[in-house]
Amino acid sequence: MASSLRVRASLISLIIFGGFLAAWHFAVQASTTGVEAMDPAYAALMGRSATTGASAIPGPGAVAWEIWNHVRDPFYDKGPNDKGLGIQLGYSLARVLIGYAIAVVVAVPLGFLIGMSELVYRALDPFIQVLKPISPLAWMPLALYTLKDSSISSIFVIFICSVWPILLNTSFGVAAVRREWLNVAKTLEVSRLRLMLFVILPAAAPTIMTGMRIAVSIAWLVIVAAEMLVGGTGIGYFVWNEWNNLSITSILVAILSIGLIGMALDQALAWLSKIFAYTE
Amino acid sequence: MSAFDDPFDKDKPLATGCPCGRHASQAAHDADETASTATGDDLLARCVETAVVNQVFGGDLGRRRFLGAFGAGTAAAAISQFFPLDAAKALAAETKGQLEKTKLKVGFVPITCATPIIMAHPMGFYSKFGLDVEVIKTAGWAVSRDKSLSGEYDAAHMLTPMPLAISVGAGSTQVPWTMPAVENINGQAITLHMKHKDKRDPKMWKGFKLAVPFDYSMHNFLLRYYLAEHGIDPDTDVQIRVLPPPEMVANLRAENVDGYLAPDPFNQRAVYDGIGFIHILSKEIWDGHPCCAFAASRQFVVENPNTFLALFKSIISATQYASDKNNRTEIAKAISPRNYLNQPETVVQQVLTGNYADGLGKVQQVPDRIDFNAFPWHSMAVWILTQMKRWGYVKEDIDYAKVAEDVYLATDAQKVMKDMGLTPPAETYEKYTVMGKEFDPREPDAYVKSFAISRVAG
Amino acid sequence: MDQKPVIRVEGLTKAFPQAGDPDPAPVFEDIWFTVQRGEFVCLIGHSGCGKTTFLNILAGLERESAGAVIVNSEEIVGPSLSRAVIFQGHALMPWMSVAGNIAFAVKSRWPTWGKAGVREQVQKFVDLVHLTGEEDKKPSQLSGGMKQRVGIARALSIEPEILLMDEPFSALDALTRGSLQEEVLNICARSGQTTLMITHDIDEAILLADKIVLMTNGPKAKICEIVENTLPSERSRQNFHRHPNYYPMRNHLIEFLVNRSKNFAAELADESYDPRHPPIVRPQADNPAGKPLSGADTSLTLDLKKAG
Repeated sequence: MASSLRVRASLISLIIFGGFLAAWHFAVQASTTGVEAMDPAYAALMGRSATTGASAIPGPGAVAWEIWNHVRDPFYDKGPNDKGLGIQLGYSLARVLIGYAIAVVVAVPLGFLIGMSELVYRALDPFIQVLKPISPLAWMPLALYTLKDSSISSIFVIFICSVWPILLNTSFGVAAVRREWLNVAKTLEVSRLRLMLFVILPAAAPTIMTGMRIAVSIAWLVIVAAEMLVGGTGIGYFVWNEWNNLSITSILVAILSIGLIGMALDQALAWLSKIFAYTE
Repeated sequence: MSAFDDPFDKDKPLATGCPCGRHASQAAHDADETASTATGDDLLARCVETAVVNQVFGGDLGRRRFLGAFGAGTAAAAISQFFPLDAAKALAAETKGQLEKTKLKVGFVPITCATPIIMAHPMGFYSKFGLDVEVIKTAGWAVSRDKSLSGEYDAAHMLTPMPLAISVGAGSTQVPWTMPAVENINGQAITLHMKHKDKRDPKMWKGFKLAVPFDYSMHNFLLRYYLAEHGIDPDTDVQIRVLPPPEMVANLRAENVDGYLAPDPFNQRAVYDGIGFIHILSKEIWDGHPCCAFAASRQFVVENPNTFLALFKSIISATQYASDKNNRTEIAKAISPRNYLNQPETVVQQVLTGNYADGLGKVQQVPDRIDFNAFPWHSMAVWILTQMKRWGYVKEDIDYAKVAEDVYLATDAQKVMKDMGLTPPAETYEKYTVMGKEFDPREPDAYVKSFAISRVAG
Repeated sequence: MDQKPVIRVEGLTKAFPQAGDPDPAPVFEDIWFTVQRGEFVCLIGHSGCGKTTFLNILAGLERESAGAVIVNSEEIVGPSLSRAVIFQGHALMPWMSVAGNIAFAVKSRWPTWGKAGVREQVQKFVDLVHLTGEEDKKPSQLSGGMKQRVGIARALSIEPEILLMDEPFSALDALTRGSLQEEVLNICARSGQTTLMITHDIDEAILLADKIVLMTNGPKAKICEIVENTLPSERSRQNFHRHPNYYPMRNHLIEFLVNRSKNFAAELADESYDPRHPPIVRPQADNPAGKPLSGADTSLTLDLKKAG
């Protein structure tokens, strides 16, 4: 019975996808405009859009072909400005993981402190509320100006944007630990360290993991934007480079790969969350 | 005006395999040490002196004041009491030819103005002078400036006003910058959206939104000059916006801007995609205007004199190769791929050869639509400074000649070109005619005050 | 002759601060009683009389407003491993297994013990509550009764001097309750564990307790009387209801819960009541037939013995 449900759902997904591809194909055909007659010497100097009226947006076939090109040879390296899609994604992923790791290392202990102490919570809250909504693109110029190195600035920007969900969820999770578990620990005269490690941390872990899952999606989002601003090697730079050439096809391929990696990161965190989940 | 007007013998190999450019091979160069020492000596000595004097006087301002008060001879005598200049020069002469750094990072923005910087990589101009250069594509002018200031780039492609702006502290921290060479002259255009093809008279452009790549750019100053000459005030009658060149075509298509004065290939690209047409080439505003530059910090020049010299020579050789119209097709092919300009080859070709479609149905032939001439005339710097003053980018009084000569290394260029067997111009100042009006570099203040539309009281 | 009591409650009063009321009425006041070593004492009363608060104070989880609790001649200052608590909700840590929960307590008590020692202690108490074989299960995989057994095992595994229980079986169904009561009876009888248990189940009190303390309704709840269990110490769930003293005990407690707990103020006016020495009562039937008590039936003899 369950597998029948899965089969039926997959079938529907496929139909929706097929419908989408068909709609895309016809939309591209439909946006072909008419063109006036052109001097052949003139026409030779003009691009496809101007001579045939074809839409600048590529059809599904063109995109599929481009995807295949990239997948076939993802790790080529022709110098600093032209590397394979695999390498670009790898650089971006590396920056994300470093910035994210720093965010976890800073946010979890700080979140603990805030969750356990009303004083610390009230003292830090105004700063958190002001800094939290600042967009990564606003941090970028400041980071570049002070840190100077563009890679370090990207990592900093990832850190400053992914730290908030982890921080807030940790502090919330810690503050919301069930009173009765804390009472049990009190009656057992449990030391502060054992209390944090064996009672509070496992109790708050699901909430912390939720924060981490949100943060990893934000981090991946931010790196693409940051790299478009700064350049270097990375998927954001790849998008910008293809944008220079108004190569919508390549941009679509990039978008697809960004989405897939984002999904993979989220799934990884979801799997990790399961390990720390418990049923009450 | 061009330094390359003299006949250039195509059969003589361009790169002779030695840093000074006068010998057939490195071996011959080494054998002829005395000859190369003599020709490169002046430049070397000047580098050493500059380095020492800067240390003693803590910068050009102090030095100029001292020189103004006491004269060069006294200055040299005073310094050599405390620092043996001759010994230093001798020491430098021993290490002459040794490059301090061979691995360099040079930034460029992917526009055709940077052709000499870019083509020097695939066509071997850097390696011929013993350098291993990575040319790094940069997202925009602000990033190029930031990465140059931070030292991530050893040298970079910049707009000609930028080294001046950085040296006087306009728009960034004040750091002494140098511009040893101009990359290109001409090569820009005003492109408008197809829907404006009946609005060829600029007087009809009131309320337009026009884009330029950067505030401190020839594009901005040329556009303002052009508009002002047609009676349009660029600050109140139109909106001038800064957009990175790669985004200009897309913004034009979306009709966020009505047109732009931008570097190529984005004018030709708009035509290629059927979005816009070329209204006027920049050479029709000022034939021979400078556009982009090759720039390095003064610190890099002083600390790495031999490397800088080699780099300077590679750029000048590349520029000079590009100035030959017969080479343009080959160059277009070399710089179009993804890791350089990343544009369709035909677009780049139309820009470089001047055989192009104008967007209005006609094929035009303008062979010097873009040209390459490295000489950094001091007078160009003065013109740029007058326009910066005119529009209020610089508010204090400037010593035009001093700034121009500090930043634009015209005298160095003269020496290097002579070294390489080329004939540089004898003077570093000349007059220009911009849209029919004459500019005399020796009368900058009068020029600034002579305009009907400006932010400075006439 | 009284031995030295393990627990002495002296003049215990608790008032919760109320917004806008500088002198709020206490939940309970002037509570005095003692618990001897090895005694099983039940505290009975309606909800709201502060029983749980009282237990929390004994456990060290809350502070009294006035008075003191003295354990082994020392006033208590906070929670202690020598006073183990079994909570009403089992309060097991859901991320730890059965063995893990118990081991957590054992390790807290004896931090220097090695793995083997801890495992042995854990197993001993798992077996004691008849959960052998379920050691690796997580609490969510256990029934309500099993979870509470783990709670019991956890509390006993640290071999506490005093066991405090807060209505431990009230959340369970009647059948499970019955079997757990039996287990507790056996365990405590065998080990001589000093226990104080809060309940509102009369039969539970009669089955388990040596002494039953009756608390009136709040606010200003007091101890009405202390009822000594007149059933023999060798009793069990199967037969205790057949003992002639069962119904006298039961009726007396019902009378208290239904009527007297509410109307104690009226009683106070009639007799001289000394909170330091609440009356000790021993309901029994001299009538071996065990006639059930009615309100006006005076054939029942109530031995009223005031302690000196």
